[in-house]
Amino acid sequence: MAQQTKIVSSSTAEYFAKNLQQVGFSSPTKAVLTTLKEAVDNSLDACEMAGILPELTIEIKKIGTGSQKNTDLIEISVEDNGPGLEAEDLAKVFGEYLASSKFGRGQCSRGQQGIGISAATTWAQLTNAKGVVVTSKTKRMRKAVQGLVNVDIKGNKGMFLNKKSIDWDKEHGLKVEFKIDGRIQLNGDGGLLTYLEGTTLLNPHVKFNYKLMDNPWVKIDRVSKDVPSIPPPTDPHPHTMKLGEFMTHAHIYGNMKVGKWLKTSFSRVSENVIKNFVKNGLEKKYLNQTLQKLSDEEFKKAYTAIQKTDLMSPSTKSVLTVGEESLAKSIRRMGEVDFFSVITRKPKICDFKPVVVEVAIARFLDRGGEHDDPVRLLRFANRVPLQFDKGNCAITKSIESVNWRSYGLSQPKNSLPRGPYIFAVSVVSPFIKFKNASKETIDASDELVEELRRALMQAGQNLSRHIKREARAADVERKKQHIEKFGPILVDTLARIVKAPEKRRKKAQDGLHKILGRDTKAEEQKLEVAEQRLMDLKAKRSHVLETNEEGEGASQEAPVTEVKAKKKKTATKKQAAKKKAKTASKKKATKKKTATKKKASKKKTATKKKASKKQATKKKTKAKKATKKKTKRTR
Amino acid sequence: MKKARLNQADISKKSKLLCERMLADLEQAKRPVLEAVKCSLDNSFYKPSVGYLTPGDKRVRTELNVSSVQKLSRTVFMLEILLRNLGTGQVNTKRELYYISKGMVKHNKELKVLDFDEQTESDAIIDFISDMLEVYREELNCFANDRGGQTYSKQLIVEETLPNGKTATIDLSTLGTSPFQPKNKPQNLKLRKRGKIDFVLIVESEGTANTLVANGFTDRNKCIVIGAQGVPSNAVRGWARTIQNQLDVPMYFFGDLDAYTLQNIYRTLKAGSAASLIRNSEFSAPSVRFLGVLPEDVQQYDLHYYNVTEKDASELRSIKKAQDALKNDPFFQDKKNKKIAAILKWLVKEKKRCEQQAFWMVNPKDPVTPEKIILDKIKKGAWV
Ligand SMILES: Nc1ncnc2c1ncn2[C@@H]1O[C@H](COP(=O)(O)OP(=O)(O)OP(=O)(O)O)[C@@H](O)[C@H]1O
Ligand SMILES: [Mg+2]
Repeated sequence: MAQQTKIVSSSTAEYFAKNLQQVGFSSPTKAVLTTLKEAVDNSLDACEMAGILPELTIEIKKIGTGSQKNTDLIEISVEDNGPGLEAEDLAKVFGEYLASSKFGRGQCSRGQQGIGISAATTWAQLTNAKGVVVTSKTKRMRKAVQGLVNVDIKGNKGMFLNKKSIDWDKEHGLKVEFKIDGRIQLNGDGGLLTYLEGTTLLNPHVKFNYKLMDNPWVKIDRVSKDVPSIPPPTDPHPHTMKLGEFMTHAHIYGNMKVGKWLKTSFSRVSENVIKNFVKNGLEKKYLNQTLQKLSDEEFKKAYTAIQKTDLMSPSTKSVLTVGEESLAKSIRRMGEVDFFSVITRKPKICDFKPVVVEVAIARFLDRGGEHDDPVRLLRFANRVPLQFDKGNCAITKSIESVNWRSYGLSQPKNSLPRGPYIFAVSVVSPFIKFKNASKETIDASDELVEELRRALMQAGQNLSRHIKREARAADVERKKQHIEKFGPILVDTLARIVKAPEKRRKKAQDGLHKILGRDTKAEEQKLEVAEQRLMDLKAKRSHVLETNEEGEGASQEAPVTEVKAKKKKTATKKQAAKKKAKTASKKKATKKKTATKKKASKKKTATKKKASKKQATKKKTKAKKATKKKTKRTR
Repeated sequence: MKKARLNQADISKKSKLLCERMLADLEQAKRPVLEAVKCSLDNSFYKPSVGYLTPGDKRVRTELNVSSVQKLSRTVFMLEILLRNLGTGQVNTKRELYYISKGMVKHNKELKVLDFDEQTESDAIIDFISDMLEVYREELNCFANDRGGQTYSKQLIVEETLPNGKTATIDLSTLGTSPFQPKNKPQNLKLRKRGKIDFVLIVESEGTANTLVANGFTDRNKCIVIGAQGVPSNAVRGWARTIQNQLDVPMYFFGDLDAYTLQNIYRTLKAGSAASLIRNSEFSAPSVRFLGVLPEDVQQYDLHYYNVTEKDASELRSIKKAQDALKNDPFFQDKKNKKIAAILKWLVKEKKRCEQQAFWMVNPKDPVTPEKIILDKIKKGAWV
């Protein structure tokens, strides 16, 4: 921290005030989302650092018209049960740029730069003449401290105004209240709900209470009692740096000797390694010089020598995962899950940086788009949802490059697959390389894309077992339907052409049923085998889930009864509308292949009744179970 | 070798027998099977004495099961429509048949499942019926609006017996520069000639055929000029066959020098195609010769040619197909056609192409030069 202040010039605040669009305040809707996001990310980080299970209360409402054209005055409040901050730190944290404890530390925390929350304060101040109202209480404090933090833009200093002590019936915590110009967008890629749902998914240990606009309060319970522990920071690996970054890194250390700097501020650089640097062209005399004395030319020489030297890959200990078990539980907080597949990969080194990828793919009973819509994609970097510029992201590119058709999903060439699925893909790394300053897309290096593809394909394989089973069931249905519909036409037409008497027609009809009945039975048997295989697999998997975390991947079907219908009430309206649309579109006689499934399941009830009347004794209970379930869904 | 064609009464009878057999099988809970000749290159044979591609023993079997029940019911459904047409003498295009079946479905809810989404689906069923009955579409009174076949002559007289029993007589010499275009079943036309006819010239481009005629080709020569308009349609192929059968006259094809023309246009005209194995006997004119453009013409007349570039995907594809044809197409493999195969090989190797219209560059100011070259080539025997 001490060294770091050196690079902070008094113009920093001025710079950001002029360039707020670069850090997420480029439009009224984005301003609201970014403010929420910075506050929530900070709360979650603070809780995690302090080993506290977070409980967040969030309220966002429209309280008037904004000062700018086409904006509303929006109030955003976020309250946490984290460690809180001492009164004397508040001005700095909320009103000063680059005051983060995390800057450039190589840690997988959500916050990375020390810009976020001060930018939000600046925006509030610029649009509504007031910064942020903060209430804070640490364990030590008897009463909470409350006041307004403004940014002194010229001096890059925070100012704490109207300070007072108040009673707050919680042991510790922090609450921020912003009033800003903005506009509220709930759904869609850049929506507030999308952010909250994504955050819910990747944080099984979080308890949320939120109220967005006039919607009722939504309460989401935690499904895990483990506070993720963010691994200690890791020093950067010299091979991950460009020359410019290498020199900036040096500036932070001021007048340290070069040799010591190399040894202490990088990972995988030891005394022996430095000897190799020397062998590869780093002049020995520089090792005892201070960093400040090195010229750009000399930095370049040193840099080249280092790049030439073989180094051990960095340790993968610095990454963290949510884990398959927790993901599996967390996913059910998003709605009634039909089936899902989760994969947590082992940490990997990509481009010399430790990275870990997790994938969750789920199909929901009551949400997700139409069959012809692209799947809903949730992207995460260090557990923070990425909500803009989807097309350029390494995650999107990886999904598009996988052949999902082989797993039974429909997919136009080189595009996202289609169907009522949610694809959640998370990348965690202390050094995520973003494509731009606003941190909205992950840079698509070959190695990272390859690792993402592997994870996706594993998840796809798990998924395909479910999908194939379904396809098979639909197939049996379709074939049964064929017999019922086409059989009479075939026989009647033949009888008409040869002018056969009714008796022959009837006999032929019976004959046809016999033949085709045999076929269907064979199909049903195949279906049973497929079902059995799936059950066996599930049994094996749940065992895996209970006993170890080998990261082999889990895939489960959520029994309908078991799922706690944690429907987000705010979303219910929308869902109902969607359902309506769904049934309507179903009614439009759908001849296309994608629709056959729907059609098949619709007919199911009728077919099933008939079948059970005829042969109630049969042991095809399994096939029926599937049928029943699907019927339920389509009703 | 050549089977006598079935007449329409035979076709009805054969269809009814087939249905009778299917019904009888069903009554005994036996799976009915429909069989058709396999119409593909791997079941194509070429004998020089026959002159066109004929089918081998391979057959496609469609047995009734849960998957095929749809196809089979669609087949008998369409067959019933076609039989009705045969009974009343009605004719229809494939597209009309598509709409007729749509109309039937509209009026009978039970038939809803048979509904054809697109014409390609009903076309496939019609083709399957033809293959199965070993008849051609036209014999089922199903006609397409066939392209090409525009015919010019001062000597040819065509007689057509109409459904009402009357005879129509067309004297082509009275048509001026307008062509006579045979439709439907040209095989049923009767041909007569006024005096001698020296040759028939089938030109790949109908535009070029018309140019020749407009410049007086048919005034100066006792001949028949026909425009093919690309890959010869059933009508063009049937027409060429009729001319060959009824007027014993040498027949020449004049078109581009490229792989596509040789392989798709000329081969199909001369020997039929793999897709139409069962009806090539009536849809090919084995006596036709390839007059040019020949590689030697390019040299002799210093014609402009194009290099086939790797960049042009369609040209590259036709080169690939030509290589494949040289290896697998029995027509190009037969000794009798080795000269034409040699040209194809030359084209694949040299990657050049030259268009029929290049003859117009030889003497740009004289519109009759192309005619002179053509006549000269016929006289000298400069054809393959
Ligand atoms: N709710 C909170 N409870 C406790 N400490 C907090 C809270 N919010 C912020 N902090 C402290 O203030 C620091 C600065 O936060 P800020 O958002 O400016 O930076 P950051 O989160 O480290 O990085 P980024 O700019 O990427 O968000 C944090 O590092 C944290 O130590
Ligand atoms: Mg932050």
